[in-house]
Amino acid sequence: MTTAVPPRLTGSPVRRQDGDVFVTGRAVYTADVRADGAAHVALVRSPHAHARIVAIDAAAARALPGVLAVVTGDEAAEHCEEIPHGLDAGHLGGHHAVVRPLAVGTALYAGEPVAAVVATNAADAALAAAAVEVTWERLPVVLDAEQALLPGAPLLYPDWGDNLIIERDVGPDDFTAAAADAAHVLEGELRTHRGTAAPMETRSYLADWDPAAGKMTVHATTQNPHVLRTVLAATLRLDEEAVHVIAPALGGSFGLKMYGNREDFIVPLLARMLGRPVRWVEERSATLLAGTREQVLRYRVAAAADGRLLALDVHAIADHGAAAPTHGWGMAHVGALATGLGYALPSCHVRYQVVATNKAPWVGTKPFGKDGATLLLERVVDRVAQVVGVHPAEVRRRNFVPPDSFPWLHTSGLELDSGDYATALDLTLKRLDHPAVLAEQRTARAAGRLLGIGLAFELMPESADIPGALVSAFDTSTVRMSPTGRVTVLTGVTSPGTGNETAIAQLVADELGVPMSSVQVVQGDTERCPYGFGNISSRSIITGGNAAVLAARDVAATLRATARAMLQVEPTEEVVLAGNAAALAADPSRVLPLAVVAGAVHTLSYRLALDVEPRLESTRTYRPGNVRQVPDALGRMQTYTTYPYAVHASVLEVDPETGSVTLLRHVVTHDCGTVVNPMFVDGQVTGGVAMGIGAALGEELVFDPDGVPLTTGFKTYLLPRAIDLPTVELEHLCTPAPGTPLGAKGVGESGFSGALAAVVNAVNDALAPHGAALESTPVSPPRILAALQAVGR
Amino acid sequence: MTGEEGRVELRLTVDGAERTASIDPRSLLLDALRDELGAIAPKAGCRTGDCGACTVRVDGAIAKSCLRLAVADDGCEVRTTASMAVGGELTPLQQAFWDTNAFQCGFCLSGMLFAAEDLLERTPSPSETEVREAISGNLCRCTGYDAIVAAVLSCAAPPVRSSRGA
Ligand code: FES
Ligand code: FES
Repeated sequence: MTTAVPPRLTGSPVRRQDGDVFVTGRAVYTADVRADGAAHVALVRSPHAHARIVAIDAAAARALPGVLAVVTGDEAAEHCEEIPHGLDAGHLGGHHAVVRPLAVGTALYAGEPVAAVVATNAADAALAAAAVEVTWERLPVVLDAEQALLPGAPLLYPDWGDNLIIERDVGPDDFTAAAADAAHVLEGELRTHRGTAAPMETRSYLADWDPAAGKMTVHATTQNPHVLRTVLAATLRLDEEAVHVIAPALGGSFGLKMYGNREDFIVPLLARMLGRPVRWVEERSATLLAGTREQVLRYRVAAAADGRLLALDVHAIADHGAAAPTHGWGMAHVGALATGLGYALPSCHVRYQVVATNKAPWVGTKPFGKDGATLLLERVVDRVAQVVGVHPAEVRRRNFVPPDSFPWLHTSGLELDSGDYATALDLTLKRLDHPAVLAEQRTARAAGRLLGIGLAFELMPESADIPGALVSAFDTSTVRMSPTGRVTVLTGVTSPGTGNETAIAQLVADELGVPMSSVQVVQGDTERCPYGFGNISSRSIITGGNAAVLAARDVAATLRATARAMLQVEPTEEVVLAGNAAALAADPSRVLPLAVVAGAVHTLSYRLALDVEPRLESTRTYRPGNVRQVPDALGRMQTYTTYPYAVHASVLEVDPETGSVTLLRHVVTHDCGTVVNPMFVDGQVTGGVAMGIGAALGEELVFDPDGVPLTTGFKTYLLPRAIDLPTVELEHLCTPAPGTPLGAKGVGESGFSGALAAVVNAVNDALAPHGAALESTPVSPPRILAALQAVGR
Repeated sequence: MTGEEGRVELRLTVDGAERTASIDPRSLLLDALRDELGAIAPKAGCRTGDCGACTVRVDGAIAKSCLRLAVADDGCEVRTTASMAVGGELTPLQQAFWDTNAFQCGFCLSGMLFAAEDLLERTPSPSETEVREAISGNLCRCTGYDAIVAAVLSCAAPPVRSSRGA
């Protein structure tokens, strides 16, 4: 056997473990799970944005062939509790909304499910859903958050007395004092539009109720199977162990499939009511209901003559849509926490108001509100640069938290751990060849062409902990080695399709010295995996990965002790696990195949290493040390584990005749600390950039004046296609996360915010020679033309 | 025409095997393949012809199966990505998609693989722009497309094979 030590897998571009399954079309997603005899669900949705349900007549629908049941909101409510909130505004000084799987009494947005039809096949279910007759009494609608705050506005929840879900302050409110010596005070307003996650796979559930065993098995498109089990059991009045949630391969998620959506509950409820397997595959138009990002951001910023920021005061008004039991509104809070982060800003205060309107609710969406914070700051910095007459790159450099001042306590209470922002900026400008691009811009401008260059700095707090909510910064993994040296990793984190299971296998394979082919990672099954919080907040490697490393080290220690006993050497002798073997560091010729050692642990425990517990299995939880749930004197907590960041540069050209934007280049320097798999990291950042560009340029949920969605498919909600995008040019920087086993920082939300902001800044830079500006998104052709027309172009 | 009555018989060759199914005549080819014939490689991403996740080959031509009535393809030969690999051997394109991480969630793969294969049959040495155009009938929400473009270009003639990975 060979004793050559193979290169470490961690840090290598290892390809996906199960990639062949995917490229041969054999991967099983929720809608692919076979279930003989499963009935199909179609939902009856409100055609109105606000209307009272006067009566539901299902007689005609029930009489149609194949129909097994029609269930109204009232009937469903009898069989379940209200949906528990992931983040209850009512517990935090705001309003609690009662949300049930199907609407009861009143529909609050167009598309809200009010009844469910179950039939033997999907076509019959859809036909019958159209035959359910609902008598509506239309109510006045409010579709704008600012109007919803005015006295006399139509109320979604009359018992609240207003439409305010919650309002809070983040950071000390001391702008006036902090701005006293400012050379410049600028005021402004930024409006961001409603977008959505739009993964390629819509939501889907398959629920099977076994009445004899009292057991519910649910296959679900979910990021958080364990937490879904907890809330499903509570809603369905079952014990947790009566619910088994399995998350098959997920076709993208981006936050949409976090637990708590009302769709999570409808299908299991129907399965229980009918006593047979029931499945539902969401229609694309419904997936496009979920909202995010729509806000009005009013600000005042104070700056010194040299461009240093002295104080920022923000009033954010978030257009949430109807209240929901998901974490969606938390995006306004996280946006406030992240505002100004990474800049050495002495004073930063955000007051946010989350407002209910007659639209489908916000659903947590990558990058969870941090995008608004990035866009705001990057617009502010560019405006300050213009006023003080210093290049935007230099203004950023003057304001960055310097690399020698970590940990850095931001005004919101978040504490930055590490980073080198100015170097990232330098690398981006170098890759861009900034002087050459500036020269090109001068030439283009001289010829009347609108060429724009936009910079943006993004800093993403990742791996969140929400005190009191089932979103914690820790997670748990089990590592187990069989007598033949095969390794199974069971983890509480899941993959939305990013390949983190392969990255976790890399980490474990390195710790145990086994090849990738020996390691299998199991995720997404509540009866196999330890309780975990799944996939949220770019946490899978930080939490599940670090936990797997700790567990693998325990297993490795047992293997080493046993190998020492087998080789009859002292306990102080160093044993190296590599190349599927255990060898003495001092004498590599004394080596045992790892399978022999693993076998000996299982079979010779009374002869060997009596002082070692003969167990090749360990379950460990990694709880990052830097989270602080106890509020400080100002009521602030440190609720994020890692702080990856990036500096983007976008170069684009605006066509003044059509308002269309052609992206020429997009450069990103990214730092997520220690990289486990560079190919996966590049994929995450590139995908995030594409999404951010899409959000900047055109993706927008649009409604008619009555609040009925007009963007019901991909002909109207325009995702970027391959021809719309330039090749993303990536540079990397590595400042390892201090005090962590791996040094890795989250990467799952990276790319989006900086791309959004860089493109918006670049469009403004392109328009600047004409004195035109665009302080709202998307920067789409009609808006660009309007901005040019506004200045008489 | 609903319920179990009014079903019609559909004959298709699916991934090389002759199959028959009794289907609802309203069925789209996509649904007949997935629900009646167990061919799960094509996915329903939009059902409006916009995303390409449902792509198959019908008598050799790539087609979005959500835009076709199954009965209209009676007697046809349908291939999904499940039969792209001949004798269990991945095609260079499949291999390249795997080696260069040209997918994440994989939901878009039917469209991407078939569009790329179709392009390379017609244009063995495409430019990057030609690749981007060829796959632009398909949506991918995860990758940002760059890795897909790189995978396809790596298969352009003369073949350049990536040997990355473990
Ligand atoms: S499902 Fe056919 S193109 Fe989207
Ligand atoms: S890999 Fe997820 S949609 Fe393409």
